[in-house]
Amino acid sequence: MKIQYNGRKLMKVVLYGISVIIMIIVLVGILNFVFLLAGGYIYSNMSWDYIAGGKVMEALTYTDQGYVLAEDMFRKLEEQDQFAMLLNEKGEVVWSVRKPEELKNTYTQADIARMTRWYLKGYPVQLRVWDDRIMVVGMQKDTAWKYNLEFPISWMDFVMKAWWYYFAANLAWIVVLVFLFTRRFMKSRERARIEWIAGVSHDIRTPLSVVMGYADTLEHDTGLSEEARQQAAVIRHQSIVMKELIADLNLTSQLEYSMQALRKEKVRLAEMIRSTAAEFLNDTLSGQLKIDVRMDGDTEHIYVMADRQLLVRVLRNLINNSIKHNGQDKSVNIQISMWKEKRKCYIRFEDNGVGYSPEILHGLQSRKKGGAKQNIHGLEIVKKIILAHGGKIRFGNCEEGGSYCLMVLRGEKR
Amino acid sequence: MDIHEYKILLVDDEKTLLEMVAGFLKRAGFHHVVTAGNCRQARELFHKETPHLVLLDVMLPDGDGFTLFESLRKESEIPVIFLSARDEDENRLRGLGLGADDYITKPFLPEELILRVKAVLKRVYRIKDARENESVLLGDCLVDLGSGVVHWNRGEKAGAGGMDTEVALTAKEYAILKKLSQERGRIVTIDALCDAVWQEENYGYENTLIVHIRRLREKIEEDPSHPKYLLTVRGLGYRLV
Repeated sequence: MKIQYNGRKLMKVVLYGISVIIMIIVLVGILNFVFLLAGGYIYSNMSWDYIAGGKVMEALTYTDQGYVLAEDMFRKLEEQDQFAMLLNEKGEVVWSVRKPEELKNTYTQADIARMTRWYLKGYPVQLRVWDDRIMVVGMQKDTAWKYNLEFPISWMDFVMKAWWYYFAANLAWIVVLVFLFTRRFMKSRERARIEWIAGVSHDIRTPLSVVMGYADTLEHDTGLSEEARQQAAVIRHQSIVMKELIADLNLTSQLEYSMQALRKEKVRLAEMIRSTAAEFLNDTLSGQLKIDVRMDGDTEHIYVMADRQLLVRVLRNLINNSIKHNGQDKSVNIQISMWKEKRKCYIRFEDNGVGYSPEILHGLQSRKKGGAKQNIHGLEIVKKIILAHGGKIRFGNCEEGGSYCLMVLRGEKR
Repeated sequence: MDIHEYKILLVDDEKTLLEMVAGFLKRAGFHHVVTAGNCRQARELFHKETPHLVLLDVMLPDGDGFTLFESLRKESEIPVIFLSARDEDENRLRGLGLGADDYITKPFLPEELILRVKAVLKRVYRIKDARENESVLLGDCLVDLGSGVVHWNRGEKAGAGGMDTEVALTAKEYAILKKLSQERGRIVTIDALCDAVWQEENYGYENTLIVHIRRLREKIEEDPSHPKYLLTVRGLGYRLV
């Protein structure tokens, strides 16, 4: 089965999916940011009470007996398990507190250069220059992550400029992915639905055959009373109504999702209209139904590329609708006329019934589905079939009473 | 062989339907009806009973009707009418590219089923329709469809010259009248008549048809300008009453 999709419907789902995804991204972004801040704050309060070189320096005073560290700073360093040392201009350690044993007492320029950027023998350290001396404050190994970032300035420029494009490209990706996923999703879901409806209608048809068959038998059973036979006739008639309803249901579900592969062939409209009308008249009791067919001579040989069965369905539904909503005198007069303008073929269907109610007209004109309050399935199908054939359709009421339906189809050259 | 002597094999998994259809066929005069509920039974009966026509449901518990049909067709040219309950099958059957003789969509009326069974049997076994050789009586005029001759029995109306007269129909007139009498009482569209007379590719013959109808009326109607039997249904076609 070939599947086509109703573009508008797909677009709607895709847009919905995209907007949901964008909302999720924004929300996740905001939440991440909040969590990061909160987490960082809590975490740093807990254990990131890092004492920087500057603080140690402030607490250090130079006296006659040498360097003296304030008592509370000493306690703090102890608490944090940190150490500190002061190097002079020659790189010699002139003062230290809690300095690990493995650390040297003299540092070369190379040593100092290295420890500013990386670690000092694995100890994360921070340096602070104080006049000609350098204060080194360190922590225990594996307690801090120390790294330097360095990028070429042109690269940073590029990032700043390309940021928007980058964002847009990502967005495009998301859109494509959402599109593909939703389409796949819709495909499987719609197929399941159509198959379900097809299955149900299949299951109903066989028992309905039995109902219809036996009702017909009873209707023709001369041994029964007239009343009983009348009732059988009603059952038979109603089962035919059910048959049409089932066919309509199936067709609606298939046309809805454009799943009905149109079996297009050359259809001679004049012939199709005549044979459908004749069939209807032959099957209806005479007198009740009149169908007047008027065709311009030049429409006689107009062909359309169409699914003949579906076009027959259009006429049948229209005629059935006229019969159902006939006027007070119970007579149904239908007029079908056809004319041609350039390559367009106009078919006007008119009856003398009660006309379409405003609700029905509204239901047929609105694009929304599910206006099933009124019994207009048959007309919905008419509309869908014509639209599926690339035609146009309009429903309305005649001034002198009755309703009309104007259809325009594109004719083909012979 | 009379049409009712032909044996029909009916295959459907729904027992109620099977019984009902068998009943219809029997009432219609077909007294050789055998039924099968699945493909296996159908094959067995096909070999044992050698039916003349198979009425086959598309969906069967142990396989689908299409496959069964193909395997039956390998063995014989037996005519097959499908019974289908799905629209999808209809698509497949519509062209009857499968080679099936006809198909009926469920639900159906008994009358329709019997008509189709008879039509297929007639076509395949070339049974002469009894009506075909019958004559059509139109008032005082009797058309012998065997010979295509119109017999007039004007009786007293024509006065002294009230002799029986005979007029022969042309081939086209005969074809038109035959078609109309087959569908007597029903409207036959212009297109169907053209099909009957000129077969395929018959556009533009509508006007010629009118001429033939007029000539036909001259032969069978008492007053050709006010026809009583061959009526025009405006815009659609003609009807023989």
